[in-house]
Amino acid sequence: MPSQRTLVQTPVQTLAPRHYRTINWVGLSTLYIKEVRRFMSVATQTILAPMVTTLLFLAVFVLALGHAVDKVAGEPYMAFLAPGLIMMAITQNAFANTSSSILISKIQGNIVDLLMPPLTPLERTIGLAGGGLTRGIVVGIATWVAMVPFVPLSAAHPGFILFHAVMASLLMSLVGVLAGVWAEKFDHMAGITNFIVTPAAFLSGTFYSAERLPPLWQGVAHMNPLFYMIDGFRYGFIGHADGSLTAGILVLLGANAALLWLTHRLFATGYHLKA
Amino acid sequence: MNHVARPVTTALQARRFGLVNWIGCWSLLRRQFKNGFSDLHYTILGPVISNALYLLLFVIASSSLTQLDPKALVAFIAPGLISFSIAERAFEVSGANLIYDKHERIHFDWLMAPLTPTERAACFAISSTIAGMMVGSAVALMTLLFVPATVAHPWALLFFAAATGMMHGLIGTLLGIWAAKWDQYTALHTFVLLPLAFLSGVFAPVGTMPETAQHLIAFNPIFYLIDGFRYGAIGKAAADLHVSAAVAIAVNAVLFAWVHYWLRTGYRLKS
Repeated sequence: MPSQRTLVQTPVQTLAPRHYRTINWVGLSTLYIKEVRRFMSVATQTILAPMVTTLLFLAVFVLALGHAVDKVAGEPYMAFLAPGLIMMAITQNAFANTSSSILISKIQGNIVDLLMPPLTPLERTIGLAGGGLTRGIVVGIATWVAMVPFVPLSAAHPGFILFHAVMASLLMSLVGVLAGVWAEKFDHMAGITNFIVTPAAFLSGTFYSAERLPPLWQGVAHMNPLFYMIDGFRYGFIGHADGSLTAGILVLLGANAALLWLTHRLFATGYHLKA
Repeated sequence: MNHVARPVTTALQARRFGLVNWIGCWSLLRRQFKNGFSDLHYTILGPVISNALYLLLFVIASSSLTQLDPKALVAFIAPGLISFSIAERAFEVSGANLIYDKHERIHFDWLMAPLTPTERAACFAISSTIAGMMVGSAVALMTLLFVPATVAHPWALLFFAAATGMMHGLIGTLLGIWAAKWDQYTALHTFVLLPLAFLSGVFAPVGTMPETAQHLIAFNPIFYLIDGFRYGAIGKAAADLHVSAAVAIAVNAVLFAWVHYWLRTGYRLKS
């Protein structure tokens, strides 16, 4: 009588927490897909808009200065400018993705959807940063494609392009997570964007060659992580770097490791997230 | 005895206003201002900082890459940036306010009020113009860090500043009435208005541009507004000043008529 046996045995089982292996793959991929869908559903604003504004920047600077610039780093001004602008679009959008995701969740009160699911702090960090990373790369590719008809862009060192794109995008996604966790109002985020992110991006050597700056400003430029992102990324295209490439790679690896650790700590302790 | 009998017989009538309902206009203006200036530090400081960055960038880039005189370049660009910030703010005050009102369904507050379409249109235009000019003044003060102030023709300066603000206030009103969602509003701003503004000679003398670009720019009304404003500031203009003034007046008149028509018919506002 097998059927009787099952009847007897079922009530004895107690509820136990669900067990996952080292990584909760279903949960992680769900978070990641949610983050990607969040920006893909408004692609006009999240991909097309940055593409257009980047092209406008290119047009403005080429129109304003292009006629007076001889050559920068042995390249026409446009070819020098284009990689920096692509990188600027990558960093700004990677930052925007994670920071807005967390801040909006906090304001709308659905941040619990991130905190309640059975995800470890590491999985949360990776899921969120992965979304920002993807947005940065997608915007970068879109901007690149949009520029091709205007600027002859050859890839001198594809490895450098890829490495710096991924590292920069990851770095700014993590900074975005930190900013999103810290900020409580849209005003705070506008402040961070206006006072830190945009100035850092603008004064990073996108528009000019840091080599030709006075020594003081060169020193300031070298303190800016965005300088290394843009410099290495541009090296991938035109084969010329203003600063040390090794230093750049080390800075990016170190900064990403430190930010990953910090983000992990914040999620683990629940800073500004769990009351 | 007459005294007592009369009030009872008078029936309720529609309230009468003179030619203009001044109290109503003043109230609507104040309401627009309240919405437009609730977060001053954000609306004024933001443009001031980003425009300071633009100028700094141009100074660094031009002095490290070219033989151009950075002072002359900044003197040229600064009026363009001031004009641009007037436009952006004016557009935002009317456009964003309207969409917010529609979302929250509080646009009935001013649709129900005893105001004529002309009064409504004028209030939207005036409030945007003033808000835009306030931000423009703040940005103008900031530019003093880079170049000494020059006001070659004060009346031209004021006229074109006001015309820029009003034009963008009216465009913002039209977009605010038309757009059903924020997406549509930001899309039109990013894909139409921003390119028109950026490619209007804000940053570069038209004379240095390729010939086709020069021909295209002649069709961009924002070019005339910025050019006229720059004439007021530094006394040099690329286009004929009379043409610029005529364009400014004509565009504003057409836009005003358009806003008036939509407000009168209740397009997308009354269903």
